[in-house]
Amino acid sequence: MPYHEFDCSKCLPERKKHAVTKGTGDNLATALPLGYLNTIPGSISERGCAYCGAKHVIGTPMKDVIHMSHGPVGCTYDTWQTKRYISDNNNFQLKYTFATDVREKHIVFGAEGLLKQNIIEAFKACPDIKRMTIYQTCATALIGDDINAVAAEVMEEMPDVDIFTCNSPGFGGPSQSGGHHKINIAWINDKVGTVEPEITSDYVINYVGEYNIQGDQEVMLDYFTRMGIQVLSTFTGNGTYDGLRAMHRAHLNVLECARSAEYICNELRVRYGIPRLDIDGFGFEPLSQSLRKIGMFFGIEDRAEAIIAEETARWKPELDWYKERLKGKKVCLWPGGSKLWHWAHVIEEEMGVKVVSVYTKFGHQGDMEKGIARCGEDALAIDDPNELEGLEALERLQPDIIFTGKRPGEVAKKMRVPYLNAHAYHNGPYKGFEGWVRFARDIYNGIYSPMHQLSGLDISKDEIPTDRGFVTQRMLSDAHLPEEIAKSESLRRYTGKDDIIADLRKKNPPYFTPIIKAEAAE
Amino acid sequence: MTKITYKVTSEHPFPADAAAAAASLAAYEALDDVTKARVDQMVDWVMKNCLWQFHSRTWDRKRQNEGILGIAAKLLAGEPFTPQTPEDRCYWVDSVTLQRAYQATCPWLAEMSKEDIKALMKELHARIDYLTVTGSLNEELTDKHY
Repeated sequence: MPYHEFDCSKCLPERKKHAVTKGTGDNLATALPLGYLNTIPGSISERGCAYCGAKHVIGTPMKDVIHMSHGPVGCTYDTWQTKRYISDNNNFQLKYTFATDVREKHIVFGAEGLLKQNIIEAFKACPDIKRMTIYQTCATALIGDDINAVAAEVMEEMPDVDIFTCNSPGFGGPSQSGGHHKINIAWINDKVGTVEPEITSDYVINYVGEYNIQGDQEVMLDYFTRMGIQVLSTFTGNGTYDGLRAMHRAHLNVLECARSAEYICNELRVRYGIPRLDIDGFGFEPLSQSLRKIGMFFGIEDRAEAIIAEETARWKPELDWYKERLKGKKVCLWPGGSKLWHWAHVIEEEMGVKVVSVYTKFGHQGDMEKGIARCGEDALAIDDPNELEGLEALERLQPDIIFTGKRPGEVAKKMRVPYLNAHAYHNGPYKGFEGWVRFARDIYNGIYSPMHQLSGLDISKDEIPTDRGFVTQRMLSDAHLPEEIAKSESLRRYTGKDDIIADLRKKNPPYFTPIIKAEAAE
Repeated sequence: MTKITYKVTSEHPFPADAAAAAASLAAYEALDDVTKARVDQMVDWVMKNCLWQFHSRTWDRKRQNEGILGIAAKLLAGEPFTPQTPEDRCYWVDSVTLQRAYQATCPWLAEMSKEDIKALMKELHARIDYLTVTGSLNEELTDKHY
């Protein structure tokens, strides 16, 4: 096994099995790090907890819900607003966060009364919101507070509200991924099948494992709507509580982030016979293939082809402008989970960059299998890295940019390595054809920012040149390009708007008349 | 000062069935060079462009591989396939995608007989099963819980 041992982790020999280098001829039977295990004592992990995985990642993107943490304020504060999962109801779920503010006296005497009081106060403070999720935390789980019983009591007293309880305290798994699992299963057990939806199309899907980061879901929703497909629910970005209670009526589950949401898809398949189709929403070719497959499933592939042709003609010249300038740039693909495999192959194919490392903080070995299968040779794959390992890898690999979260991202900046936020994005959305160009634009801006030259100068000792001006991005990126490429009239930089979601929300796309309704009208 | 050490309780003996993995690898190694190169090319396309082979558990991966590669073999051999259930239809969608990709990227397929294509697809199936199931180092594959 081509394990990679970090110098900084020689004192933690168990860490050796958590990193491998994919060498020539390596495959999944010869190169795979361990994963989804308890963090080794002494290794300062960058992981989140199971409560965070349930609430912050999966639960909170639901837009018409009061998200109440039953625990100390810190739990809810630290899972608030750091991921930009916007919504079309004025971002209610981002603007407010709720906690029962459990303190020492409650640990001694119990906090169920406090919880009930908080639930009622929250509903009174937000009279338009009639749905709530209560998240158990470590403290209240350990003292044995029965959040289900309190929720049932309130629902009896307030018949117009509905409450979902999520029992995923922070210690409920080695990482946030344990929380993903728990909330998936709780939702299908407690809520799916309790609402009957209005079916308005002959083609009905659940869009699963999509969290509407900076509008990703709304971009995809536009494509589906243009194809005449009804999206019954999105699990969970920009999704509604009652929409998600009706998941059992879809014809197909379209799954993006398998790591966070495959559980509910698998259960929907077993309990309701709804098949699961895994797709990639990133990149021109993978997205085209995904739209074609969904179209093919319903016998409307021509509608998918029309969208693919229109979008490709509009955006491909802009993607290629960036590709010419990003060729050969070394990138570390260090997101938390699914983007390591969503992006590993396609950014090499469509943007010309070279992935020199992939890592996952909380992914399972299955995620790493997908990542290693898709990345090229010599890539360093790391599971659950600690900060020192990240620093050592950056020094060794010398990437031109890294894609990661904001905590490791800020560390990289100190090493003068530009970073793009792979979790909440810089200037997303990144899904869809236009979104992919925006991603390329952000990579270009990151790599060629003149700031990085200036930041290398130490004003306390370096001589500061005063006889010349700054070198611009374009001077840097085009310095070694052939003239026909640099001055090409068929390629162009991104020409879209800053905010592409506002326009999508105003659209009134052409809906196809459902066959069911058309037949009834005749 | 006492040095605190952390002991690994498991040596992670994977793959779970080493004998099955060895037999599968030996069968692949015994293929002639042309067949092996063709299988490798087909495997590479699946690994880089598909997700269906990476469901979470052994039983699920076997089901997926059999469902999709089974239909794809028929389609590539020119035999008709009509999906009867939503699940069949879902497999068929991925199979058609595979068929189109192989027909576009593997020109030698056009010169092969039906029987040879089916035999090649059988080898591809065996290789995908080895990489994702029998030879896989993924310790969660045999977990009883999803």
